[in-house]
Amino acid sequence: MSKPSDLVQGTLDLLLLKILALDPLNGYAVSLRLKQVSGDVLQVSDGSLYPALHKLEQEGWITAEWKPTENNRRAKFYSLTRLGKKHLEKESANWSRLSAAISNVVKLKEA
Amino acid sequence: MRPNHWSHTLPLRLRSLFRRNQVEQDLSEELQYHLDQKTQEYLAAGLPLDEARRKARREFGGIEQSKENCRDARRVSYIQDFLQDLSFGLRLLRTSPGFALVAILTLALGIGANTAIFSVIHGVLLQPLPFLKQDQLMMLWEKDRSGTRSNTSWATFMDWNRLNHSFTGIAAVSFWSPTFIGTRDAETLNGFRVSSALFDLMGVKFAEGRNFLPSEDVRGSNFVVILSYGFWQRRFGGDSAVVGKSVQLGSRTYTVVGVLPADFPSVLSFDPRKPADIYTPLAYDATLPYACRDCRHLRAFARLREGVSATHAEAEMNQISANLFREYPTEYSASGVILTPLKDYLVGDVKTALWVLLGSVGFVLLIACVNVANLLLAWAARRQREVALRAALGAHRTRMVRQFVTESLLLSLLGGGFGLVLAWSGVVLLQRVRLANLPRLQNVHIDAWTFAFTFGICLLTGLAFGLLPAFRASKLDLNESLKESGKTTAGRERHRLRSALVLADVALALLLLTGAGLMMKSFVRLLEVKPGFDSSHTLTLTVALWGPKSEDAPAVAFFDQVLQKVQALPGVKSAGIVSQLPLGGNLDMYGVHVEGKTLPNPEEDPSADRYSITPGYLRAMRIPILRGREFDQRDVATSPWVALVNESMARRFWPGENPIGKRFRMGDTKGPWRTVVGVAGDVLHRGLDAPHTLQIYLPNTQFTDSLVILAVRTSNDPASLAAAARSEIAALDPQVPISAIATMDEVVSASVENQRFGALLFLLFGAIALLLTAVGIYGVISYGVAQRTHEIGIRLALGAGRQQVLGMIVGEAMRPALLGAALGLCAAFGLTRLLTRLLYNVKPTDPPIFAGVLLLLIGVALLASYIPARRATRVDPMVALRYE
Repeated sequence: MSKPSDLVQGTLDLLLLKILALDPLNGYAVSLRLKQVSGDVLQVSDGSLYPALHKLEQEGWITAEWKPTENNRRAKFYSLTRLGKKHLEKESANWSRLSAAISNVVKLKEA
Repeated sequence: MRPNHWSHTLPLRLRSLFRRNQVEQDLSEELQYHLDQKTQEYLAAGLPLDEARRKARREFGGIEQSKENCRDARRVSYIQDFLQDLSFGLRLLRTSPGFALVAILTLALGIGANTAIFSVIHGVLLQPLPFLKQDQLMMLWEKDRSGTRSNTSWATFMDWNRLNHSFTGIAAVSFWSPTFIGTRDAETLNGFRVSSALFDLMGVKFAEGRNFLPSEDVRGSNFVVILSYGFWQRRFGGDSAVVGKSVQLGSRTYTVVGVLPADFPSVLSFDPRKPADIYTPLAYDATLPYACRDCRHLRAFARLREGVSATHAEAEMNQISANLFREYPTEYSASGVILTPLKDYLVGDVKTALWVLLGSVGFVLLIACVNVANLLLAWAARRQREVALRAALGAHRTRMVRQFVTESLLLSLLGGGFGLVLAWSGVVLLQRVRLANLPRLQNVHIDAWTFAFTFGICLLTGLAFGLLPAFRASKLDLNESLKESGKTTAGRERHRLRSALVLADVALALLLLTGAGLMMKSFVRLLEVKPGFDSSHTLTLTVALWGPKSEDAPAVAFFDQVLQKVQALPGVKSAGIVSQLPLGGNLDMYGVHVEGKTLPNPEEDPSADRYSITPGYLRAMRIPILRGREFDQRDVATSPWVALVNESMARRFWPGENPIGKRFRMGDTKGPWRTVVGVAGDVLHRGLDAPHTLQIYLPNTQFTDSLVILAVRTSNDPASLAAAARSEIAALDPQVPISAIATMDEVVSASVENQRFGALLFLLFGAIALLLTAVGIYGVISYGVAQRTHEIGIRLALGAGRQQVLGMIVGEAMRPALLGAALGLCAAFGLTRLLTRLLYNVKPTDPPIFAGVLLLLIGVALLASYIPARRATRVDPMVALRYE
């Protein structure tokens, strides 16, 4: 229940890091962005989003700051750290390699 | 944690740990913001506020679960959880003080008893002796004809030293009882003459001064002493300038050359109650009469050479011994040596007993664990709703198991804390009251090792009794538990578990009680033994003469004066003097060579205990004269030499003959003949559990000792006479040391104190086991009955008789109890043989004890289940049916 149904944990981390790399966002905004970019393909329940964010923060990849929102409420905004950037680069490269390899294999089967 | 993360993550973690409220608040606010935004979104889509809120929540999933996962993500949660569990556990315990008290006391008893026994074992058996490479240190004995170890003589010792290649050195030791002349009083010391090599052999580091020099181990230059640490403290106040000072011992002046370290165990002393005070060089030479080859009064210590095994050394020494036997066929009774590791020699006698005690006290702890597990199960069952609620609110199962285990660890640590206090008082009591005569007792402390041991068994017991209930409690059906309110019809599984606990309790208790019963019976049998004398109304004290007074004639005259004075005291019936007191720890043996019955090798003739007595001694001790006459005024130094023999000796040498008038020689085959004038009753000398020995009494006029025991039979309390007797002797000579004042009853009692100690501890453990088992069964049954109140109500309402219901409940309790008893019997049958060496005149499978213990336990189990069962059947069916 706490895990996204068809997402590996590492993939969710990668997505979140990528989203936060563009600009600092609060949790709610992250959930909107997540839906926006992935459509209905990647389903992440709101309940499991926050533990994932907290984990990234503990790892030192993102950092959090309380800031007022546009409608003047306090919200916790997450942004990427230097360490997070490095990690994102590494993980993106890994992901590209992995997905290329997998799609190659899949195509091979089809041929 | 990788190092490059520290700067960033450490503050976060510290914040999580120490600013918990802030962190929790932030978390709530963060999630609330999300929900609010979501609600706004749906409001904007046109939903009513209620609907919008509900939808937002539903979409989010379990809020509490999400929070818990966030806390988990913060990683420090296990510390927090632990602290939280701990305070929760403490709060819970405070709400059930009865439960907490019973559990903690049970554990304190179990852990305390184990800690105490462990500290004794650690101090006595496990801790190495303060000697260099102690495994190389051996005691070296001659082997006599019966294959037992025997002291050696100066001549043999010198040959061993000269011929062996296995040892770096051999040192010899003999007893020495010098009289210390203080400024105000005199005192008989417990001392030893030792080879100058002895302390170097052991690798002793002196507290002050040095070891003896080889040049001091020579007759004539040997007036030097080394003090024990205790004697140095007691008589010299630990004066660091004592080295070089002189001490007056008897009529000689000695120079102090060294002081032994505080931790030097009195390895040379027979009797742990009398540690050695002082040492002087052995300084023998071949011209001394007691340096002969068959004058066996020396004990030998040896250190194995590097790389030489004990077996190898023993083989070599056996060869040497065989050669000596061939060379001197009439001065040995057999060839061969016995090698004993020094440590075994020191503590070998109590080793078995201590390990058996640790084993049995381990069973006490097991029973305690079973009982507490049982309490926890019942407690957990009462907390079902709380557990279910927590599970429903998103607590993980592992998290809940952790909570339960934290609680049981809390219990076991609290129990362990009290247990340590118990153990500490036990050890202090043991050392102060000297309940037991254990070697190295001063070495027993509640120290870091004990703490580690206690902490270890706390953790183990906490897990042992905590895990089972924890798993049981966390594995339950949420819906069921939330719905029902404790009105459980006893689940089959839970019932089985409780039965298993009753079974284990009874089996363990039976095992322990059997051990206790056997030890008690053995001890009672020991006390029933007739020592051959009447110990009641008898006072004994030791008198030691020194200087010119210790010569034969003046000594006899002085003792005569003492006896005259003492006999004149009011209440004195008879008084006498003896050289060695039965059961008093001292002993003097001589080979007996009977006229016409001496073997070709006189060394093969048997030995007898020798006593020098005054005429009144046998009467004072009420040792019967079976034939012939007592000694009297006729038996003086110049009259014909006479002797009394005991019954065993008469039977051994003159079966069916009249021993009166027969002659024998003592020790030396060329010595004077002594004529038997009477037969005295057998006396147990070495212990109540020792076999009878051959015994010879001589008039003290014909064999005089300077260190003797005065025995006085009184018509009133013998202890009340002590002061008067002492002042009569002091009036004759204030510089005669008097020591070891005790009634004969005390002497007998002291001789069995280890057996008493063992029996007492076993009894104590057995009693604790019985108590815990009774409480355990009572607890299980009353809990089971309470849970079945409803069912019992139905049965009663449907017309079941009270007797029937009573029978049913008791029967259900007795089934596991009987099964446990059967199992316990089997276990006891197998295990009590470990006690064999500790039992006197009792077989380890003694049927009356087994039967008695079985009946006792069944009785206790019946009673413990009958009481709650009867209470249950007294219930009004209507009340029972409404019982929630």
